[in-house]
Amino acid sequence: VTRAATPKLGAYAVLAGAGLLAALVLGRPELVALAAPFAAVLIADLGLAETPHLKAVFDLDRQHVLEGESVQAKVNLTAGRRVARLELLLNLPDGLSTEAPNPQILRLRSRERRELKYSIQCDHWGAHLVGELILRASTPLGLLVYEENSQPGEPLKVYPHGEALRTLLRPLETQAFAGNQLPRTHGEGIEFADLRPFVPGDRVRRVNWRATARRGEPWVNETHPERNADVVIFLDTFAEARRHGESTLDHAVQAAATLAAHYIREKDRVGLVAFGGVLNWLTASSGIGQLYRVLDSLLDAEIFLSHAWEDVSLIPVRTLPPKALVLALTPLLDERSARALLDLRARGFDLSVFEISPVPFAPSPEARLDALAYRLWVMRRETLRSSYLRLGVPVVEWREEAPLQAVLEEVRTFRRHARVRHA
Amino acid sequence: VTGGAAALVAVGLVLPPVARSTHVLLSLGLGGAGLISLGFGLVARRSGTLVLAIALLGSEQAVWFTTSSSLDPWTPFYAGGFLLVAELAWWSIEPRARAWIEHDATLSRAGSVITTCTGGTLLAGLVMFAAEAPLRGGAGLVLVGVVAATAALALIAVVAFRGDVVERTEELVGRDD
Repeated sequence: VTRAATPKLGAYAVLAGAGLLAALVLGRPELVALAAPFAAVLIADLGLAETPHLKAVFDLDRQHVLEGESVQAKVNLTAGRRVARLELLLNLPDGLSTEAPNPQILRLRSRERRELKYSIQCDHWGAHLVGELILRASTPLGLLVYEENSQPGEPLKVYPHGEALRTLLRPLETQAFAGNQLPRTHGEGIEFADLRPFVPGDRVRRVNWRATARRGEPWVNETHPERNADVVIFLDTFAEARRHGESTLDHAVQAAATLAAHYIREKDRVGLVAFGGVLNWLTASSGIGQLYRVLDSLLDAEIFLSHAWEDVSLIPVRTLPPKALVLALTPLLDERSARALLDLRARGFDLSVFEISPVPFAPSPEARLDALAYRLWVMRRETLRSSYLRLGVPVVEWREEAPLQAVLEEVRTFRRHARVRHA
Repeated sequence: VTGGAAALVAVGLVLPPVARSTHVLLSLGLGGAGLISLGFGLVARRSGTLVLAIALLGSEQAVWFTTSSSLDPWTPFYAGGFLLVAELAWWSIEPRARAWIEHDATLSRAGSVITTCTGGTLLAGLVMFAAEAPLRGGAGLVLVGVVAATAALALIAVVAFRGDVVERTEELVGRDD
């Protein structure tokens, strides 16, 4: 609890002192009568001032919530003494808001308990600590204020709102574990792949009786095994473009959360690399626990300004398993991340680049020189994009209004045509 | 609302001395300067300007008191009026955010202002009653006055300092409830 004097305290002291002094100098008792009430207010308020002994307990009804949803909060206030005027502010971090009155000015009686309810709207994804309360109680005549800050103690995780996807990108290579992906190879499985003549050792249940009858010799079905894939989501956190409270990083995080949820649902192993000023990684794994680990790591994603040169050699080897499908979410604003992606491709990773376009975030140029600079910037981006395409890396520009599914389809189309061209 | 009320009461305090004083121009000048300072202090939300305003209004009263041969029986009401102006003026310049205010809190505050001003008027009445007592003046009585005034100011300082020490001690021992 900190105590502070209001400007009124000094002012009343000056007025009382000046009045009494003037009365002595001029010898007029009326001036004492004018000054006496100010002195009396000072003595009464300072003499009776006591710490109000306020206790405020903040409570949230849940700690995990999706972006756009709201969470209910309660503040239980208790006053040890009467508080004539209590200013209460629930200091919410950026990304959270409430429509409940905030701040509030209340009056509490001695030993009164008050429960205040807040509906907190989670406008933006992120990991927050909620519950910082600023309490300011005035003495009855307002000469002193007691201020108390309670530290935020309730964690609230707001997960990015995902998108529904019908189909996902298939990796070029699968892994050895069981999953929902169909590799190009043949083996034990359910999905039909091909027919071949019977060889000793084939099981009778694999014989295709219709083909056998038609050809006069035993033929068996071949199947695709069901395998899983390793998917690494590569999040570029070197730079972002921001406008009106939304940024390319927001779109990247939402896309990353959507992709992670869908690939994990398909029994694939998902890993995460947040490549930026601060390098964060999560080795690939599967299951609902891994989904929450990925989401929690995404909540920590932030742009950290750094001028240090970083390349993929800094990423731990286990984070990028061989034959992994690498999905890069980047605004292609920083040369370090652009180079790192080219490096990954050179190392043989199955790479797809989702370019979260920063172009809509740039203000439209007005001056002639600005327009020229803008055109040069856009051309330079085109050049960078074509350098990826030359290496066979699909690069799809994702504008904010387009659904993620459309972007995936574009990548899939590129990969299909690229495969035909190589064949 | 509070600022307007403060200005209105201040105008009410300026007029009687102007009407009765023999130094009309001086009274008018001091009163007018007081009102202008009050208006500026309310608009600019500056506590120092409000102090100056009330001091100027008080000076106008002092001019009237010094030119008058007898004690003014309305002085307690002027004292209550000055306190009311001060209370309303500082209420209106309090730092405020767009806050939802509980109806009870506003009523309680208004009640507190009225009670304080009534108490101030009664106290000023007591002072005036004491002033009318048939005591002969002299160096002794002036000394008593000086001691009383000094004691009053010292008491204010002591009370303020004591609270500060208690508060700092609480912070040091970590008592924050």
